[in-house]
Amino acid sequence: MDRVSSISQAYSQAPWRKQLQIIGLFLLLVVFVALIAGIYLNVTARAATLGREILMMQSQIQNLDLEIADLETRLAIANSGQEMQDRSIALGFHPVEKDEMTFIAVPGYSPRWGAVMAPAPEPVEVVSASLPADYTESLFDWLIRRAQIQFGRLEVLP
Amino acid sequence: MKMEHVWRYTLLGTLFTVMAGLIVVQLLRIQLNRAQVDKFIEQGQSYAGEWRTFYPVRGQVYDRWGNLLAGNTTVYQVGVEPANVQNPHTVALALNVVLGLDYNEVYQNITQGPTSQLVYLVLDDYVPQEKIDRLQQYAGDINGAYSLGDNQETPSLKGLAYQPHLRRNYPEKDLASNVLGYVGFDQDGDLHGLYGIEAKFDELLAGLPQRLWVPNDPNRAEELPDIPDGTSLMLTIDREIQATMENILDTSIEFNGAESGTIIVVEPKTGDILSMATSPRVDLNRYWEYEDFLTGSTPFNRAISQAYEPGSVFKILTVAAALDNDVIEPETTFVDTGVFEIGGTHIYNWNSAAWGPQDIQGCLQHSLNVCLAWIAKETGPKDFYNYMNSFGIGHMTGIDLAGELTGRLKVPGDADWYDADLGTNSFGQGVSTTPLQMAVAASAIANEGKIMAPRIVRSIIDNGHQSDIEPRVIGRPIAEETAKTLSYMLAASLEGEASTAIVEGYELAGKTGTAEIPTPYGYTSHVTNTSFVGWGPVDDPRFLVYIWFEKPTSSIWGSEVAAIVFSQVVERLVVIMKIPPDGVRQALASQ
Repeated sequence: MDRVSSISQAYSQAPWRKQLQIIGLFLLLVVFVALIAGIYLNVTARAATLGREILMMQSQIQNLDLEIADLETRLAIANSGQEMQDRSIALGFHPVEKDEMTFIAVPGYSPRWGAVMAPAPEPVEVVSASLPADYTESLFDWLIRRAQIQFGRLEVLP
Repeated sequence: MKMEHVWRYTLLGTLFTVMAGLIVVQLLRIQLNRAQVDKFIEQGQSYAGEWRTFYPVRGQVYDRWGNLLAGNTTVYQVGVEPANVQNPHTVALALNVVLGLDYNEVYQNITQGPTSQLVYLVLDDYVPQEKIDRLQQYAGDINGAYSLGDNQETPSLKGLAYQPHLRRNYPEKDLASNVLGYVGFDQDGDLHGLYGIEAKFDELLAGLPQRLWVPNDPNRAEELPDIPDGTSLMLTIDREIQATMENILDTSIEFNGAESGTIIVVEPKTGDILSMATSPRVDLNRYWEYEDFLTGSTPFNRAISQAYEPGSVFKILTVAAALDNDVIEPETTFVDTGVFEIGGTHIYNWNSAAWGPQDIQGCLQHSLNVCLAWIAKETGPKDFYNYMNSFGIGHMTGIDLAGELTGRLKVPGDADWYDADLGTNSFGQGVSTTPLQMAVAASAIANEGKIMAPRIVRSIIDNGHQSDIEPRVIGRPIAEETAKTLSYMLAASLEGEASTAIVEGYELAGKTGTAEIPTPYGYTSHVTNTSFVGWGPVDDPRFLVYIWFEKPTSSIWGSEVAAIVFSQVVERLVVIMKIPPDGVRQALASQ
C-alpha cells in the first residue's frame, strides 16, 4: 500500500505545475477569444467603413444628379434664343431676308427632320436563362465530358 | 472550505441571484407593457434610420431641335438648427442682408431654443445658388476673422443649414409659355404642373417618387434602387419659329391696337404645331405674376381656350362642303342681288352692296355673305352640318394640351337652332370655334382632304430611349380633288384681289375673316375680330398659318389687319424653314 502511494506520489504533479497548466489553458483561451474578437472587430470596422462610404456615395450621387440637372439648365440659359440672338447681333450678324438666300441642289442631302436625343427603343429579346454545363453537371457528368473531349468525341466550341 | 467563509459565499450567491431575478423582472415588465415596447421600438428605429421620399428629377421639355424649354435648377432650403446656433444675432443679420428676411422674426425664431419638437426650423426656400454662395463666403470670412473665439459673443453662422433641391426652370422665359404651362403649388399646397404641357403630362414628367428606408447604421447600408428620372418630352414647337411669331404678334397687336391675338403655324402634312403664339404671355420663372395680367376670364392659352365667332374664314369650309357634295362647281354662277332671305332672316354683304353675277371664286374673293348663305341653303342643313362635324367644328381637336375648349356648333334639333342659323353659320357667325379648331379644319383643304391629329408632343424620352409619335390621320372630310380645287381657287382669289397677304415668289392660298362680335344687345359692327387663314406653297404645302386679332382699332377689316401680318409671317417662315421660291423649287426638282 505504501508502495502504491509512493508511486502515485512520485508521478503526481506538483501543485504549482497544475496551477501553471490551468493558468496556461486560461491564457490560451483568452488569447483565442481575443483573436476571434480582434478578427470580428476588424471585419466589422471594415464593413462599417464601407457602409459609411456607401452612404456618402449615395449622398454624392444625389448631389451629382442635382448638379447635372442644374448644369444642363445653365447651359440652356447660355444658349437660349434671345441670348444667341443678342450675341449674333453683337458680332455683326443680322437676320437673313428671303431675297438674300441662295438655294442649290446638293445630291444626297436629306433635310433634318428633328433632334435625336436618345436611341430608339430596341426590340425586346427573350433570353432563356442557360447556365454553362460547368455549373450544373455532376462530377460523373464532368468526367464523362472531359473524357469525350479528350478522345475527340466532343468538340469544344470557341 | 472553512466554515467562517460560508456566510460570505452565501451572501454573494444571494446577491447575484437577486440581481439576476431583478433583471428578469425588469425584462418581463418591459416586454409585457405593450405601450412601452412600441415606444422603445419607435425610439430605436428613429436612431436606426429614417423613411425618406426620393423624388425623381422632373423630365425636361425640348423643342423639335433639342433646345431645352423646361429644365431644372438647384435651389436651397435655408434652415437653422437652434441647438447648434452660437450667435443668433449674426445669423439673423446675415439672413436679413443676403436673403432679405426680417431680422426680428428670424432672431426670435432662433432664440426660442431647441425643443423635442423643434430641432430644425425652415427659414426660407427656393433660394438660388448665388445667394447661398454669398452666405457661405460670409461664413468663411467670419470663421477666418474670429477663429479663436468660441463664446456666444463671437460672430458665427454656426447652425445654418442648406438643403439643396430642384426647382423648375424655363431657360427661354416667356417663350411658348402658353404651351408649356408651369409647375406651381395647387390648392392643397402640393407641387403640380399647371396649364399646358406641364399639366397635361404632369404624371409622366414628375416620374414615380419612392419612399425608402435609409439606415443610419453603416452596417445596414444598402444600395438604394435607381430612381429613374421623369419622362422627358420633345415638342413639335420650333423655338425659332415660335420666337419669331411671338415677336410679330406682339408688334402687330401694338401696331393695330388690338386687345389680344394668336398666331398658329401648323405643318398640314403631319399635324405638327410649329408655333402657337398668343398674348399675353408670362415669364414662367416668375409664374406667380401671371395673375397680374391674366385677369378675369383671360385664358392662359387663347389658341385652345378661347372660343369666338370666326367670321369669313369659315367660308372656306362652307364652299369645301358644297364642292365636295357636288352642290356647286367652281364655275357655278350666282347672281348676287345684295340680299338673301333664309329662315325669315335677311342676309346682307359686308358692304350691303349687290355684286351681280359671280362664280364661286368671285364669291370667295369678295367674301360675299349672300352667296355663301345661298350655297349653304343649296347644300342643305343635314349635309352642311355633317360636313362641319367632319371638319371638327364643335369638337375638341384632341391636342395634347390641357384646357382645350370645344366651341359651339348648333345643329338642327338643338333647342336654340333656327333655320336662319344655316345662313349665318355659312359665313362664320352664330358658330364659335377656337383658333386651333379653325386651323385644323382648314388643314384638311391644305392637306389633300385629310386632317392630321394636331400634336404638340413629337417624341417621348424615357429610360434612355426616344420613342417618336407617328402622325396620324383623324379625318377625311373632303376628297383630295375637292381640296386641291379649293386651294387653287383661294390662291387665285388672293392674286385676283391683289391681297396684302401675297408674298412674291410663292403661291399661297388663303382667306380673310372679319367677324362681328355678339353681345347681349346684338352684334357689334364697329368693333370686330379679324383673322386670316392661309397656307403654302399651294402645290406642296409646308405650313398653314392661322392669325386672329381681337378688336383691332386700326381697322375693322381682316384684309387690312390680319392679311398683312400673314405676309410678314410667311416672309420669315420661308427663311426659317428654308423653302425656296416656287420657281427655284420647281427648277431644282426638275434637275
